[in-house]
Formats: sequence, C-alpha cells, structure tokens
Amino acid sequence: MATARPGWSRRAQYGLFFSALAVIGGVIIGVILLALSLVAPKTFAEIRGAALDITGPISGALHEVTATTEGVFTGAGNYWDAARQNGDLRRENQAMLRRMIEAKAIALENAQLKATLELREHERTTVATGRIVGSSFNSPRRFAILSVGAAHGVQVGMPVRSPDGLVGRIIDAGQLASRVLLVSDRQNIVPARLLRGGIPVISQGRGDGFVDVRPLEVGRNPFKRGDIIVTSGTGGLYPPLVPVARVIKLDDDGAVAIPLADPANTSFAIVEPPFEPAAGESEAVPAPAGVPEP
Amino acid sequence: MVRAALTPKRRIGQGPRTGAQYLPAATVVFASLLSALPIVSTSGWYPDFGYLALLSWRLLRSDPWPPWWAAPLGLVNDLFTGNPIGFSVALWSATMFALDLVDRRTMWRDYWIEWGLAAVLIAIDEWLQWRLAKAAGALVPFTRMLPPLIISICVFPLSAWFASRIDAWRLGR
Repeated sequence: MATARPGWSRRAQYGLFFSALAVIGGVIIGVILLALSLVAPKTFAEIRGAALDITGPISGALHEVTATTEGVFTGAGNYWDAARQNGDLRRENQAMLRRMIEAKAIALENAQLKATLELREHERTTVATGRIVGSSFNSPRRFAILSVGAAHGVQVGMPVRSPDGLVGRIIDAGQLASRVLLVSDRQNIVPARLLRGGIPVISQGRGDGFVDVRPLEVGRNPFKRGDIIVTSGTGGLYPPLVPVARVIKLDDDGAVAIPLADPANTSFAIVEPPFEPAAGESEAVPAPAGVPEP
Repeated sequence: MVRAALTPKRRIGQGPRTGAQYLPAATVVFASLLSALPIVSTSGWYPDFGYLALLSWRLLRSDPWPPWWAAPLGLVNDLFTGNPIGFSVALWSATMFALDLVDRRTMWRDYWIEWGLAAVLIAIDEWLQWRLAKAAGALVPFTRMLPPLIISICVFPLSAWFASRIDAWRLGR
C-alpha cells in the first residue's frame, strides 16, 4: 500500500485493495472486541486467564533471579556497620517485647468483652499464598501479577493482603497466576477508617502508586500527616482492620496517602476469601445492569 | 588503503537469514512479552514496548509484515499487557492504515519527521488508554499521563535503532 497505484498489474492493484480492506476489517474487529470487553468484562475471562498462565510462570522464574541478585547485594550491605545495627535492633526488640505484652493483655480483655457482648467472630482463612511477580507497565491502571491462580483456589473478587497491609483484589484468575487490582488503581475504592479515632473514610487509588482518602462526612479535614488508614469491613469484601495506607500529604478536603503494602517490595501476598461471601459474588460481577451475563 | 577499497566485500554466502520475513513480527511479540518482566511499577511510567516496536518497524519499512498482521499482533499485546481485549487490535490496525496514508502524502522522510510521526501516534495511544480507563471507571487527571508519554517519545529513537539493526542483520547486510 506504499504507493497508490503499483503499476498496470491488476493482480498487484487488487492485492493492495484487499490488504487495505483487511486492515479496515482489523480495526472494526478490534473496536467490536473492545466494546465487548468494556460492556461485559467476563466475556474474555478464559482467554485472559490462559494468557496469564503463559506470562505468570515466566515472571515468576525471572523474579527468582532478580530476588537472588538483590539478596546478594543487600546481604553484603547488611554487614556494613553491623555492630551499631545490632545494638539498635536489640533496643528495638526490647521495646517491641514490652509493647507485645501490652497488646496481648488488650487482646485478652477484648476477647472477654466480646464474649460478654456475644459478638460473632469471623474465621480468618487463607485461600493461597503467592508472590507478586509483575505489574502493568504503561497504563493509567494499576495491576499486579500474583503467582497463584485458580489451581490454588483463587477466584475473581477475592481480597489480597500482605503482612504489611492491603494489596488489592483479584480481577483475572488463570490456572497458575492471577491479576490483582491494586489499591492504588483508580477503580479500587476501599471503605476504610482512621485508626486514630475511627472516623469512616473512603480510600480511592490515584493511578500513580498513591491513594486519595476522603472523610465520609463533609466537614473539617480529619487527617494528620502520619495517620494510618485501616479497612472498616463495610461492604463485606475486605476484612476489617487491615492496614491500608499512611497519610503523607493533606489537600483541601482529604489527603494523599501511600499504601503500606508496597507491591514492589512485598515478599508474599495472601489471598483470602471475601469477608462476607455474598459481597464477593456481587463484587465479582462488575457488569452494568441490563447486560445479560453469558 | 586503495587495495582494501578495491577488494570487493565478500558477498557469497550472505543473504536473508532463514525466517527473515517473520522476524519483525517476532520482535513485536517479544516487545509485548517485556511486560512479563518481574518489575513492579507503582507509577506506570514505562513505555508501551509493543507499540514502540510496531511503530519502529513500520516507520523503517512499509512492508515489515502483511498489514493485516497488525490485528493478531495487537491481540497478543492485549493478552500479555492486560489491556482490555481489542484495544491494541483496533489501534494497531488503525496505525498501519494511517501510516499508509502518510506514506502517500509525504514528499520525503528524515529522522525528524519519523520521530514527529511516532510522537503523535504515541500521544494518541496514551490518550486512548486514558479514555479507556475513564470508560472503565478509573478516571485520572490527564496530567498523570504526561510523564509516561514523554518517556515513550524519548525512548522511540532507541527502539527505532534496534529495529534498524535487526533489519540489517536479518537481511544479511
């Protein structure tokens, strides 16, 4: 198609014409597929899962290599100034021990109080434990690839957390790997509250690795720098009291916070069942009303 | 010096490598596969490697692959990068078509025109991704898309250089 008319050859002219038609056909097919995947996101669940099964293990294997290399260098770095570090850590350890005993006492008291109130306790179970091996590179969306999939019991809609805090929820599940919608994605809205005072807030991703937090009730900005945001358990998808983010900057009616579970440095991530299973099911079907599910 | 210039370069045994006609498409698939690298990006400032590779090849030659191959290549890119299925299929096919039209209009080509064309197309790509995120319920201010856009435009010459080196190698030059 480089020139309008390649010569007098009918064959060459038709060849150009049909290849132009094929390209236009490609555009049309692409637009149709795109419309389908926007309106009914579950249409391509299988094929997306299969693609994850191809790339997930590759990422996992490469992740092992980079983790080992990094480990060698940071391991060597740890020997530098080891004596002072040792002293610091020992002091920290002592302080932590004291805090832990206090926390145990509080937990005991809490259990007794709950028993008197006859509150039903939710059982925390773990579906699977995996590693975050990759992410979306160039997109306003923030996804991560997790190294466990449907073969390990992972299903779309399950919350993912790490020891540090909330990571996100599953949106695609292949057999061997799955895709996680991170809390820093714009679409991920987490009902949360301030750890200090328990004021209910909403956390929404910013798409650049941070989250916006807003108070549910309009009024004075309740945030301070360094505040910790934890999940509230409202909505039933995310379990309550999982740390989400730490406030780093205030703005007019809310604050910008940084997720506590940094997906780049999370050693392993835990997939849990939805806190209240009914919520997980409705969350797993994000198709707008009126669209029949296949 | 003169003698060296007079001796002809060895031509016997040189020529296109086996599978040379599939190599450009293979490099595009490879570039799409770069998204399987174990890098966790929290900001999303990496370039769209697959689209950069496609643009580099298409701007280097008009016939790196039959034009309709853009659709399956785009599908592969969508599957590996996690874009909504169909996004790259449509965009890449439209890019092939648009560049054919540009080929008819432009009187001459040089590095700057190619870089400018690539910059425009990359900007369209980023804008469409932004629109698509908005349609999917993830509206972010467009200013957040500027850093990856500028990085992609700056990375394009590198990608074009790779494409030209691979092209020379595959044709045995």
